[in-house]
Amino acid sequence: MVNKDLLVTDILPNVSQPARYTGHELNAGVGDHGGAEATLLLAFPDVYEVGMSYIGFKILYDIVNRNPAWVAERAFAPWPDMESQMRLHGIPLYGLETYTPARSFDLMGFTLQYELTYSNVLCMLELAGIPARADERGEGDPIVIAGGPCASNPEPMAPFLDLIVVGDGEEAIADVMRETARGKREGAPRREIVDRLARIAGVYSPALGNRVTRRVVTDLDSAEYPRKFVVPFLEAVHDRVALEVMRGCSRGCRFCQAGMIYRPVRERSMENLCKLAEALVGSSGYEELSLLSLSSADYTRIKELISKLAAEYGPQGVAVSLPSLRVDSFSIALARDVEKSRRTGLTFAPEAGTQRMRDIINKGVTEDDLISAATDAFESGWDQIKLYFMIGLPFETFEDIDGIAALSRRVLQLGRQVAGARGKAGRARVNVSVSSFVPKPHTPFQWFAQNTREQLEQKQSYLKERMRARGLSVSFHDVWASHLEAAFARGDRRLAQVIERAVGLGCRFDGWSEQFRPDLWRQAFADVGLDSSTWANAEYGYSEPLPWDHIDMGISREFLVREAHRAEGGLTTPDCREAGCSGCGVCRDDVRVRLAGAFAGNSSQGGEQI
Amino acid sequence: MSQAATVRVRLGKGEEIRFVSHLGFMRAFERTVRRARIPVAYSGGYHPHPKISFATALGVGMTSEAEYLDMELNTADLGDLSTQQVFERLRSAVPPGMPVIAVCAAEGKPALASRIEWASYCVSVHASIRPELEDAVLEFLSSDSAIAEVNTKSGRRRAEIRPMVRELCWSSSGALECTLACGGRAHLRPQDLMGHLDAMRGRTGAPVEGHEFTGRSCIHRTGLYFTDREGGDLVSPMSVECKDWVMAGS
Repeated sequence: MVNKDLLVTDILPNVSQPARYTGHELNAGVGDHGGAEATLLLAFPDVYEVGMSYIGFKILYDIVNRNPAWVAERAFAPWPDMESQMRLHGIPLYGLETYTPARSFDLMGFTLQYELTYSNVLCMLELAGIPARADERGEGDPIVIAGGPCASNPEPMAPFLDLIVVGDGEEAIADVMRETARGKREGAPRREIVDRLARIAGVYSPALGNRVTRRVVTDLDSAEYPRKFVVPFLEAVHDRVALEVMRGCSRGCRFCQAGMIYRPVRERSMENLCKLAEALVGSSGYEELSLLSLSSADYTRIKELISKLAAEYGPQGVAVSLPSLRVDSFSIALARDVEKSRRTGLTFAPEAGTQRMRDIINKGVTEDDLISAATDAFESGWDQIKLYFMIGLPFETFEDIDGIAALSRRVLQLGRQVAGARGKAGRARVNVSVSSFVPKPHTPFQWFAQNTREQLEQKQSYLKERMRARGLSVSFHDVWASHLEAAFARGDRRLAQVIERAVGLGCRFDGWSEQFRPDLWRQAFADVGLDSSTWANAEYGYSEPLPWDHIDMGISREFLVREAHRAEGGLTTPDCREAGCSGCGVCRDDVRVRLAGAFAGNSSQGGEQI
Repeated sequence: MSQAATVRVRLGKGEEIRFVSHLGFMRAFERTVRRARIPVAYSGGYHPHPKISFATALGVGMTSEAEYLDMELNTADLGDLSTQQVFERLRSAVPPGMPVIAVCAAEGKPALASRIEWASYCVSVHASIRPELEDAVLEFLSSDSAIAEVNTKSGRRRAEIRPMVRELCWSSSGALECTLACGGRAHLRPQDLMGHLDAMRGRTGAPVEGHEFTGRSCIHRTGLYFTDREGGDLVSPMSVECKDWVMAGS
């Protein structure tokens, strides 16, 4: 156990948000390490409030702690003020449940949700007193594993990880715990346990460089899901019951990694969801129940589910919410059902400003969809609409950027008309958020280069010029952050030394604009003699080997090439739930689309379908 | 329980959650009420909130055995719910570090927060600095005036604090016990009193290296009080216009 008295008297009074580091929340498992056959520290490389919003860790935490022979605790990246206090007083990274030092666990499991958290992974290993590089670890060091979406190209982080778990974690984590326990029981040396774990399906060993096929939970309805959540005292970013209604999305947006690597669509049954909702609301006391998935409006029985949950929990003071909306009138009707009183802002993601570009990215949304959705929203009492767009997409021209401005202005004008009829034209607001396209592995756009920083900056200022209007505001993602995200997303093992160097220079929390230090990253690249544009701004050839070729996410290469060609031709590909199989290759054996009802799709799919 | 169903609750704040903010503490109690399935009344309007009002905030880092709140119940759903049942349901639903100490029914139109005038604290003091602190306490008590640096919402300023210290004495176990003004009319934070005593100690004798008061002394709130309208005595918020008391351990 770390020195708790020192924490209480000398450290925590001097840091911001000390409750990040104290644990003892409701439903936090208090495991007995002494009697445990295998112990796991779930390590989230961002602050507590972000990590506590992540459903993946809630699932793994529950699965491990439900087994009396296993223990899982949590650790989050300490904010820089806490990090310096920990270093000053010699307090190592510890698990929040029992204040056990990270180094005393059998396994340390990181989730790689976002490329700009990589520096925090190294920082946490350092605070734990664990050598950063896997080949420098020995007996007594935990086995460091990682999962999450960025595990679909783990190469830039590979030298720091003993093992990488690719795909759904529900079954894989149990296999890992079981094998670790067996290895310990048999007195196997650490090296041998690592080798045994590497033989588990879905596990990739950077040292062996084996080919790995993603783990897929075939039937989500029978998969484990928590019946209680740890309820934080500190307000998490998403502080509510998250009910995962389905996994996967087959809309097929060509830039979207999540839409490729979580296929096929697997829905939970209504009965199961209602049972889970009852247990989770009852055990947490949360005031909000959110229906989670990549596109919850697509859940085949969404209307029925929402009305059932709202009728049950509304009177108990629990609001039902949808985290994401499709751009169509059906979604507005749903939003109207769940947000009976509080109508402040709605968010839509048309992603591109012209139909040509929306067809290229296969975003099945037309201008008519957006206009009718926005009209419904304004007429239903929402005054603010937020629009998400991307710039720097493949085949983009300045006309497409003009289109973003034109579409935003049109929505604003519409809002002013509708609100004007109520005598409140000035209340209508359109907030536009513009990110830069980041090519991601395992998508049809994985071969395309990201625009250079100069190009993106030019496009940002071009668009900014055209967005000056009362009631219209625009914000842009940081160009350097998107650039680094692309470099690490498409990177290879050479980037590990850059990450190591950047952490040495002091890079932390790169996803936080107030902490992000592009100057230090630039220096890190220069110091090791590499150029970030090698990965971010280079087109990869269709016949060239890719750094993530050995990670099989189940999507066939032929499908991705075909989709890239169709993008170039401006041809859309419909959702397989509606128009039959599009040949992505993910369905095989028991892996198939599983729906709880009949898929209706939205009123109109955009573009020409061939 | 009578129709004017307001329940007054006394909670503790334990070591485990001493670094939880007042906002976090309130939110945790609201969720406790929901888990306990107590039919609390909700405010109308765009953001329905349970009608729970806390007496006063406790500073981050302190522990307490005297966090009071009033909770309005929805009379339509009340049935024959007794304070005993409220007590038991709350006790089975609270998170770690939030013990339910007492529950009672408050009568009339309760105004908990505005009636609180005093708060008592117990400050544990490191043995190595006690002798010097004893001198500072004696000096403080023997004077009619004490100008101290205090923290307010608008920043640090100098203020007369002597009238805001009603009691200041040593307990048999060697802790410093004090009763300080608390509430809207006059308020003195225990850290500010300790900081002042610390500064006095610095004037009267050499400071002991590495033993600042505010960082190291654990401050524990032991009570909140109304002032009796007739005699001016301190009275517990649960002794005025209250009935149907249920207490832990009884």
